[in-house]
Amino acid sequence: MNQIAPTLNSAKSSTGIADRLYRRIRGIRGWLLGLIVIVWSLPTFGLLVSSFRSRDDQRSTGWWEVVGGVDRLTLDNYRTVLGSTSSAKIKDSLVNSFAIAIPATIIPIAMAAAAAYAFAWIDFKGRKWLFIATVSLLAIPLQVALIPLLQLFVSGAHLSLPFTSKTVTLIPNFDLAGSTTAVWLTHAGFALPFAIFLLHNYIASLPKDLFEAARIDGADHVTIFWRLVLPLSVPVLAAFAIFQFLWTWNDYLVANTLVGSNPDAMPTTIRIANLAGDFGRNENLLPAAGFAQAFVPLLVFFLLQRYFVRGLLAGSVKG
Amino acid sequence: MGKVWSTLLTVAIAVSVTGALWVAANLAFNQVRVEWRRFVAIAYGAMGFLLGILVAGNRVTVHSQAGFLAFVWLPSLLAVVFAVVGVAINLSNSPRLKRAIGIGSGVGIGVLLGLLVREQYQPALSVGPLLGWTIGGALVVAAINNLRKRNPISGALVGGAIGAIFGGWGSAQLGSGTIVESILAMTIPAMLMGARVGLSSTPDSIGKARIDRRSRVVIFLGPALFFISIALVIPAIRTFYLSLLDARSKKFVKLDNYLETVKAKASWDSTKWTDMFTSRLFYMGIIALAVAVVVGVIAKKRTGRAVEIGNSTVAPLVVGVLLVLFAAFTSFRGTIVNNLWWVVTVVFFSTGLGLAIAVLADGAKHEKLAKSLIFMPLAISLVGASIIWRFMYVPRDATIEQTGVMNAVWVGLGRLSTGSGLPTIIGTVVIGVVLLGLVVVFGRALAKRAWARAALPGIGTALVGWFFVRYTGIIGAGVGGFQVKADGSIVPQAIGFFQEAPFNNVWLMVILIWIQAGFAMVIFSAAIKGVPTEILEAARVDGGTPSQIFWRITLPQIATTIGVVVTTLIVLVMKVFDIVKVVTNGNFGTQVLANDMYFQAFQSGNTGRGAALAIILFVSVLPVMIFNIRRMQSES
Repeated sequence: MNQIAPTLNSAKSSTGIADRLYRRIRGIRGWLLGLIVIVWSLPTFGLLVSSFRSRDDQRSTGWWEVVGGVDRLTLDNYRTVLGSTSSAKIKDSLVNSFAIAIPATIIPIAMAAAAAYAFAWIDFKGRKWLFIATVSLLAIPLQVALIPLLQLFVSGAHLSLPFTSKTVTLIPNFDLAGSTTAVWLTHAGFALPFAIFLLHNYIASLPKDLFEAARIDGADHVTIFWRLVLPLSVPVLAAFAIFQFLWTWNDYLVANTLVGSNPDAMPTTIRIANLAGDFGRNENLLPAAGFAQAFVPLLVFFLLQRYFVRGLLAGSVKG
Repeated sequence: MGKVWSTLLTVAIAVSVTGALWVAANLAFNQVRVEWRRFVAIAYGAMGFLLGILVAGNRVTVHSQAGFLAFVWLPSLLAVVFAVVGVAINLSNSPRLKRAIGIGSGVGIGVLLGLLVREQYQPALSVGPLLGWTIGGALVVAAINNLRKRNPISGALVGGAIGAIFGGWGSAQLGSGTIVESILAMTIPAMLMGARVGLSSTPDSIGKARIDRRSRVVIFLGPALFFISIALVIPAIRTFYLSLLDARSKKFVKLDNYLETVKAKASWDSTKWTDMFTSRLFYMGIIALAVAVVVGVIAKKRTGRAVEIGNSTVAPLVVGVLLVLFAAFTSFRGTIVNNLWWVVTVVFFSTGLGLAIAVLADGAKHEKLAKSLIFMPLAISLVGASIIWRFMYVPRDATIEQTGVMNAVWVGLGRLSTGSGLPTIIGTVVIGVVLLGLVVVFGRALAKRAWARAALPGIGTALVGWFFVRYTGIIGAGVGGFQVKADGSIVPQAIGFFQEAPFNNVWLMVILIWIQAGFAMVIFSAAIKGVPTEILEAARVDGGTPSQIFWRITLPQIATTIGVVVTTLIVLVMKVFDIVKVVTNGNFGTQVLANDMYFQAFQSGNTGRGAALAIILFVSVLPVMIFNIRRMQSES
């Protein structure tokens, strides 16, 4: 539509009424869009303003009355929230969020890239079926795996031998329950089917000649993967990385299940949800805490929007 | 900041250890072609190490209880022994010598392990089971190998070894045997495995190439598939198993958990469903449907089709169906009903608003900025979004000022409506003008006998007219957040958006719509930009109006995308958790399946019910997911 607008304008300029009507419709559209944008940003904007208002101001008047007293805005809430003595402990939880989101992004990318390469360019028996089976796992909601995973992290994995009353320990209890490690391990596992699917689509579409030429030059799979496939896949790797980073940073369900009430491992989402839970007492800190939590995703969003959208478009299928 | 460093260190170690293991595996298998013997040493060593971990890790042997070093010596020892045995077998050329080395070292390792078995693990052997298991295992695996056209003898040896482990350790009473018995129980399987290893021959170059190729498949796929099976596949199967057991996973209860879940009043409460027929929503819906029928009949006469995408029947039809559905959802209550309500509402409004905004924004001034602002909520966590909206909805005591936007507007409207000053009059005038405009449009359509085109303005006139009548107090005392006291005085009254059932559900849904409309918009926007300009231009040259072009060309072109968005949203909304958990925790009649699952499994300790709810969730998204995955695969 963008490209044809000028031709349309010039075509209609000959007939005066139609031209005016068209412009008016365009005008209404613009106003309507503006209105929607305002309505859509209002909640976030309101919270942003609130986060700079003192406790008394927040309790007595609506945030829109800030117009009369811009000079009353204060950074106190942020100081309290990010201070190390604060009971909100947002600072610690930010570290925990990074401790979850970074490995939960890097490790599945590495594994999925290797697997996607194998599915795309290594010939083996049953390749197609294995790939379909892997991708089909996208259909499993997180909830279905959570109970056994919590049990795994609490007590390890033990196999009862059939027809006997003996059990063999396959995975000992590493005492991971309530740690960030448990959370990122789980995220890494959950992310893999989607990551494999996404990366496979891209890697499989790389030109075949490239691989044949490399093969003729005597390169083995590791070399091809490391020197050729990974550098060429940077766009899709970045798209997935951003998607996965935001997903894990913003996750609440997995973290809440596996970290639970361990204050040393809580990521930001649990912290602010808990802060919201104790009604009244710290309510004035909630807006600032919310923005401290949302700062990283918003930064990623505004700086890397193109990759973000690409990852989102591709990630729209994730279960 | 010790925490930051220790965290970074953990992350770095985790990443580099994983990477190093992967590189090491590749280097090891590189030796297949370069130096076969080195590969054999590494491979056998690794197998010995794994066996050692399994034995020492289960605390079967002496000195494996306390500490890391005490645990690691046996795996290391076995790694060295296995490596030596492997190389020795490969060095020798005659089959007989190989067999001798294999059996001999098997016996040696067996005796060694048997001597190391802790007293409380020494098995009391009985000949019957030991022989039975060994022979049975040998026969089964030999038969399988025979069917697969492999050597049955090697199969028999492996099967016999596995059987001997079961017979010697599994079925025996542990702790009441002697050291001789444990040596026997270790030696028999070890000897059989040794004999099997002695049968192996050094592969020729084609065989080596095959090993090399297969090893890469395993190395490249292995980590991912291993992780997936531990984090996803096995837990999913186990969840299904747990859902058939009782609350504490002790007793098998068949499908009781599912039946209880479905039958519970909290899940499906139809005691007040007849309220539906007395609800205002229902009557409004019926009126809208009646309008749709009238318009449909007219449209049928004119164009031959009663309902067609983009014709005037669609709007009243959709409005009517939605209203009737809402009437049903507010009368039937319960977790399952809430989930359905969520799906219908969020999917419909997110898709509709997303499409509308995408069309509005397409080619508009500042398109990019507008789109990113609408899209922004998607970057914020659902928890954060819930907090943002909590401040929008917050109700305050009537005596103080409202600090939430929604209640400020609502209470303000009440003040305007029941007041008598200039603002009230201005309000009356504004609403009156809007009403007048709608009446004019409606009247013109009627006068032109364009019945179909009159439908939407008609509905609009009815709604705004009703609002006007209420606002001015012609019917009732006014509209907005206020309360008439017994003495006739009027005091403001805020809405407890999160407490007042059943519409608190809708206010929760608004949060998700606010987020997901941006998602739908971005996807639709990309799709609309992908509609070929030649087609649009051709339509314009043929004299198509913008609305005709949209309904007849753009919409069919992006139909697949609409399908993608709708299916994606159905799955996403079906699993809605964060918002409900954070805002109401399922109280005040807002419970949904995912939150109920969380509550049952992790808070009330009813593992069976929780697992059953998880499986129900899985089954309910399964058809949509199958559809989605099919489409994805046909696309790629």
